[in-house]
Amino acid sequence: MTALEITDEPRLEGMRRAFVLAEDRIGHYPEFRDFFVRIFDLDRVGLAKPGYLVAPSGLSYALVFVGRSGERFPSGLEIYALVPELEPLDESIVDRDLWAISRWMIDGIGGQWSLADLDATGRLLRIPAALQ
Amino acid sequence: MTNASFVLSNPAHAQWPYEPHFARVNGWRMHYIDEGRGDPVVLLHGNPTWGFLYRDFVAPLTDAGYRVIVPDMIGFGLSEKPTREQAHSLDGHIANLTGLLRGLDLWRITLVCHDWGGPTGLGFALANVARMKALVLMSTWAWPLPPAAFHTRMFPWRMMHAPVLGPYLLGRHNALAARGLSLSVVGRERFRTRAQGAYEAVLPDPASRLLTWTWPRWIPLDETARALDRFRWLERELARCKLPALLVWGREDDVFDCDTFCGRFKALLPHAEGPYLVTGRHFLQEDSGPEIASAVSDFVKRLDQRESST
Repeated sequence: MTALEITDEPRLEGMRRAFVLAEDRIGHYPEFRDFFVRIFDLDRVGLAKPGYLVAPSGLSYALVFVGRSGERFPSGLEIYALVPELEPLDESIVDRDLWAISRWMIDGIGGQWSLADLDATGRLLRIPAALQ
Repeated sequence: MTNASFVLSNPAHAQWPYEPHFARVNGWRMHYIDEGRGDPVVLLHGNPTWGFLYRDFVAPLTDAGYRVIVPDMIGFGLSEKPTREQAHSLDGHIANLTGLLRGLDLWRITLVCHDWGGPTGLGFALANVARMKALVLMSTWAWPLPPAAFHTRMFPWRMMHAPVLGPYLLGRHNALAARGLSLSVVGRERFRTRAQGAYEAVLPDPASRLLTWTWPRWIPLDETARALDRFRWLERELARCKLPALLVWGREDDVFDCDTFCGRFKALLPHAEGPYLVTGRHFLQEDSGPEIASAVSDFVKRLDQRESST
């Protein structure tokens, strides 16, 4: 469905993590947390390393999982673009990639969460990436 | 230059010329306006609006002899905007409002509640009945279950605030203020030209919009919801409440539909006046502000006359 690939840790020399999105409550709907636990083997990996993926633009992203005392792990998620250390982000590319990550996530969660509903929501809200 | 003039365009600022006030409440910096003299009428907004929602109410109510106080909920408007979801809870927002109204030492309060201004305002009112004079309720709720059908639907409601999607759609794209608001008014073109910019202007950055996707996550959808006990308490106390009340609803409301939600308030508060029906969807103040302001003013005046004649 979307050209998005989970990878091992990419080359980080000369790169920086550029913050793009934070989710403080990944388990608000538990199936979202379960999805990331399954995809990144988080019951085994825990906090040892981020998850990495390459988005359709070719840009790599680090998914940093956050734990909170008293809550199931992970409780939160931060998404960082990996970019050359002194270069600014291209926001339009990042935005399209975040939409692709959203579609990959919903497709992977499945069940009552459907791409048709996500795409319809994106169109209703006039999200540029959803209208392309 | 006031804080409002700093963030609002000239047309918007012309509609909101009021002197800003700030108070420390419950550890946060809350913005409010405080206009006129007389018994206080406190106007409470919800998600994703701010005091500007009541711009058509301030002059009619002050002209009628009331003191009008319009706070911006912590997280909205010109108030402080915490950047962590854990900073927000229903009880915390009730405590914020309680801090303001007790700090101003208000008595004989008429509380006008809309959207999340309902659960938070009623939380204050039902725990501080001695300070209260009356309630006005519009397009809101105050019980645990069942939720509105609108809030159970995947498209668009649950998708909009789901994990990762909330920060993306409502955070990066400000979709609730930039698009959702206009979908929930009747006169959309008028809204876009007169008001849209004032709502977007106070939510300029993704981090400032956090409450727009956090509040939806506090709406109980099932027995696992976080605020279920507080909503049970609200419903229980509301059923015992003898405060004079007025129900105002939009005929076209498709979020809290009138038959279901206004009907349930009427069952809990059988003595309430209304429903007074106006043109309006969920954000009925945008379609019928002057008419609702007049209805509120008339309602409070009737209470005053009744009181002075006894």
